[in-house]
Amino acid sequence: MSTPPTGSRVVVVGAGFAGLYAATALDRAGHRVTLVTQGLGGMQLSQGTLDVLGYRATDERGSERVTDSLAAIDELPEEHPYRTIGADAVERGVAEFLELAADAPGAVVMRGDVRRPTLLPTAVGAWRPTAFVPVSMLAGAPEPGKHLHIVGIRQLKDFHPQLIATNLGRTPLDGVGPVESSWSSLDFLARAGEIDSSPVVYARALDEPATLSRFADRLATHVREQALPEGAVLGLPAVLGLERHPEVLSTLERASGVRIFEIVMQPPSVPGMRLNQALTRAYKAGHGRLLLGSSVVGVKSEQSAGGDQRVTAVTVHVAGGDRDIACDHVVFAPGGFESGALELDSHDQLHETALGLPLHGVLPIEELVHGDYWGAPQKLFAVGLRTDGLQRPVDETGAVVYSNLHAAGSILAGAYRWQEKSGEGIALGSARRCIDAIVETSREQTDAPAGVQGVAPREQTDAPAGVQGVAPREQTDAPAGVQGVAPREQKGA
Amino acid sequence: MKKLSADVVVIGGGATGAGVLRDAALRGYATILLDKADLGQGTTGRYHGLLHSGGRYVVSDPHSATECAEENDIITRIQPHCVERTGGLFIVGPDDDPAYAEKFLPAAQATRVPAEEISVAEALRREPRLNPRMQRAFAVQDASVDGWQMVWGAARDAIAHGASVLTYHRVVDIVTDDRRVTAVKAIDEKTGEDVVIDCRFVLNTGGPWAGQIAHLAGCEGVEVVPGRGIMIAMNHRLVNTVVNRCIYPADGDILVPVHTVSIIGTTDVRAVDPDKLEIPRAEVQQMLDAGEVLVPGFRQARAVHAWAGARPLFNDPKAHASDTRHMTRGMSILRHDERDGVHGIISIIGGKLTTYRLMAERMVDAMCEQLGEDRPCVTATTQIDPATAPTYVVTHRLEEREHERSRRAHSHAELPATCDDDHADLDDQVICECELMTRGMITELMAEQPTANFDDLRRQLRLGMGPCQGGFCSMRATGIAVEEKMVDISRATALMRRFLANRWIGLWPIMYGDQVRQTALDNWIFQGMFDLEHLPSDEKEIV
Repeated sequence: MSTPPTGSRVVVVGAGFAGLYAATALDRAGHRVTLVTQGLGGMQLSQGTLDVLGYRATDERGSERVTDSLAAIDELPEEHPYRTIGADAVERGVAEFLELAADAPGAVVMRGDVRRPTLLPTAVGAWRPTAFVPVSMLAGAPEPGKHLHIVGIRQLKDFHPQLIATNLGRTPLDGVGPVESSWSSLDFLARAGEIDSSPVVYARALDEPATLSRFADRLATHVREQALPEGAVLGLPAVLGLERHPEVLSTLERASGVRIFEIVMQPPSVPGMRLNQALTRAYKAGHGRLLLGSSVVGVKSEQSAGGDQRVTAVTVHVAGGDRDIACDHVVFAPGGFESGALELDSHDQLHETALGLPLHGVLPIEELVHGDYWGAPQKLFAVGLRTDGLQRPVDETGAVVYSNLHAAGSILAGAYRWQEKSGEGIALGSARRCIDAIVETSREQTDAPAGVQGVAPREQTDAPAGVQGVAPREQTDAPAGVQGVAPREQKGA
Repeated sequence: MKKLSADVVVIGGGATGAGVLRDAALRGYATILLDKADLGQGTTGRYHGLLHSGGRYVVSDPHSATECAEENDIITRIQPHCVERTGGLFIVGPDDDPAYAEKFLPAAQATRVPAEEISVAEALRREPRLNPRMQRAFAVQDASVDGWQMVWGAARDAIAHGASVLTYHRVVDIVTDDRRVTAVKAIDEKTGEDVVIDCRFVLNTGGPWAGQIAHLAGCEGVEVVPGRGIMIAMNHRLVNTVVNRCIYPADGDILVPVHTVSIIGTTDVRAVDPDKLEIPRAEVQQMLDAGEVLVPGFRQARAVHAWAGARPLFNDPKAHASDTRHMTRGMSILRHDERDGVHGIISIIGGKLTTYRLMAERMVDAMCEQLGEDRPCVTATTQIDPATAPTYVVTHRLEEREHERSRRAHSHAELPATCDDDHADLDDQVICECELMTRGMITELMAEQPTANFDDLRRQLRLGMGPCQGGFCSMRATGIAVEEKMVDISRATALMRRFLANRWIGLWPIMYGDQVRQTALDNWIFQGMFDLEHLPSDEKEIV
């Protein structure tokens, strides 16, 4: 970590699962990474687990649970992003992400199986399939004879234990039999005088030892009063600490004498925030730069010797104006409709808002949206980018738009992620493919007819990005002659 | 089977029906109102919320203009809780015909509609978003009104005077004996129970459904044309004053600030079935274009919801059948004794929300005349909301929540910070942040109307009507409904699913811009996080 990286310059756009993972992995692989993001990324809005593939559509309206998520990839429609990504990249991406999340300060340790989804209770009492689960949620998985007791905090309005427990109890589960459930509520104020504190306020309060011990006492008394059956486990709202969550969990388990699991609530999602925090810290621990509050407004590109268009710089809008960040590669992971990266305007036209990349799945508006909420998926939400095998966006003829721009995450066309429970798997698998492509290209270019590059690429004392335009031709880090011919259009400093 | 009896049965729980119920009850008749759904679920709840000053009709329909001006005064006085005195403007757009504007002030004067011309600069000072290229501006006394509050206000006043309201009671027959109405048969849609009400008189206030109701009594050929109009609620109050185009009444010429949104309306197209009203994308585009004329940049603002209402228009052979705007909007009172030889039933068709009280007065007058009884109308001088109540302002709920918060802060200041046993304040929890609706508000209404669905609650409480369209409050409301033992788990889950599906009816026609982003977030929550679609659900339609 102490040696400054000397690899190629990569701009990663977006700080969700795909962007944060790609940026961190590329930084660790020795590349010079700049992560640009408009906001804090979608990870902290997530359910805090890693999905790979939980459901597969059976027809227009129906779906069935998937028993082997990786095997099911081959049976997905041709346009599904997994078909390009492939099972191998998903497996590697997820494994690497798990390591990063478990490694950082405030680490989130997760368990699971990339192929076989685990079921976990949701905040409405459904059994939701997911692949990897933070240890704080593990005890919620169904087992024969298990009794789930859901405990709510009355001052926490996003968690309704009776709704959860009674729905869990009436949902049949194959091979497990009925899971018994019960519920109760206790009073606990996160802050004096506040009767509807958010989950984040509770989580931060429980990070404080005094509050934690007060809550542990209260929970212990409450559990004693419930006279739970042997082998009961407790389901609590996912507020058990934001920073010191392993300690909060163990303290409460010790005090109450029962195993505890968390159930995630609608955003703000504390488990999502923990993951976001762990990955952001993992990235910041390296050499990469992070530009918050920056929106991508365009790229500079040039035609390379081979005739393809290459991005030479990404233009970002930051406080004070636009600024170009010179790069050799781009990982484009800005999210989908939920982040504003995709837009349907008031004239019913679809746009990829940052770069105007060609979109796929575009249909007349009448076919994109229909009025049956519980009916077939709304095709609008499968609109996005389609890519070649190196995750590079292609136009309607299949031609690559930019030879060094790779796309990952929710911007990719062809999946209904919230229905399939496939969001993180697609994000991490596609990001892995982007990383592979960049690492591979960089290696080829380094190995390629060495000449100048071979001599001194490592001496490069990379100036801050915006300055690069000033003296581009002196740079010698250029992979394979590209930079040398570059007509620098950057606005420069 | 349930047997009831009354002097008068009112069929149709829109504004007119609620007005008639109250009017008859205040004149001492034992009265029962039936509606096949909830109060104000039809035309009354599907309009733009304008309490007319009369300005809109000064040229085209002078008689209506005067009635509106008078009723506007009366409603503001007797139901101040549901009226926001926003004031109104008539603006002459850059390309609008100046000849119409020339007629405006003299016509207003002739119809006794208070109006004055103000300078364009003054109009822009009051409403800075308005089109700066407007030619002229006139100020009038338009207001905005919450139709549901208005209807429930009238209904509750009637109940206080001995009347009954039976919602979700679908009338299946009007029984006659020797061409005289003797009873009404209905089915309770929530329980499936048959209900028979013996009565002397039926007042048909079915609006666009009035023809179907008259038919049940053997009165044929009451042809009511549903004039479909769409409305779009924009996420913010783009204006704080009602803004009208100063032109002969046309499509998309009104923008009304109501509660936290502003509503643009409307279109006017002949529909076939008042139960199946589309919101065509082309009409949405037409509204957005019209919005641009009033407020430049309108298309960039966020639309949160759209709906379609059916004006009940009596088919007048003099007007061209496809152009419903020019059919009569004045009310028609049909005395079926004279028209069809059936005694004991009167229908009313047409009219406007603003004049609902006056229409009720005329209808009950007609009934009294037919019954040969002299009982004067007192609705114009009887308060519904307390006489001392101020008219509504949009910040009322915020003010209430702030009072509750400071009261709590005060009471907790005297307690140690570790006091966790006090859950007396839980009623103050804000369950719907968009509309600042508390737990206490929803549990109180659940207790009063235990068979209500979430849309019934929504119409009175505004649950799920803000920017997130139920994204954050639906699960909370469901959890509370279970905790309050209002419903069992199966119905609770079905209610949540139904509520989301119903919200979508008004969302998908305006799926563009920021609301797409919101919908993606909401889908992540309900499908992505909750996996709601895989909870067990019995397929039967719930009511």
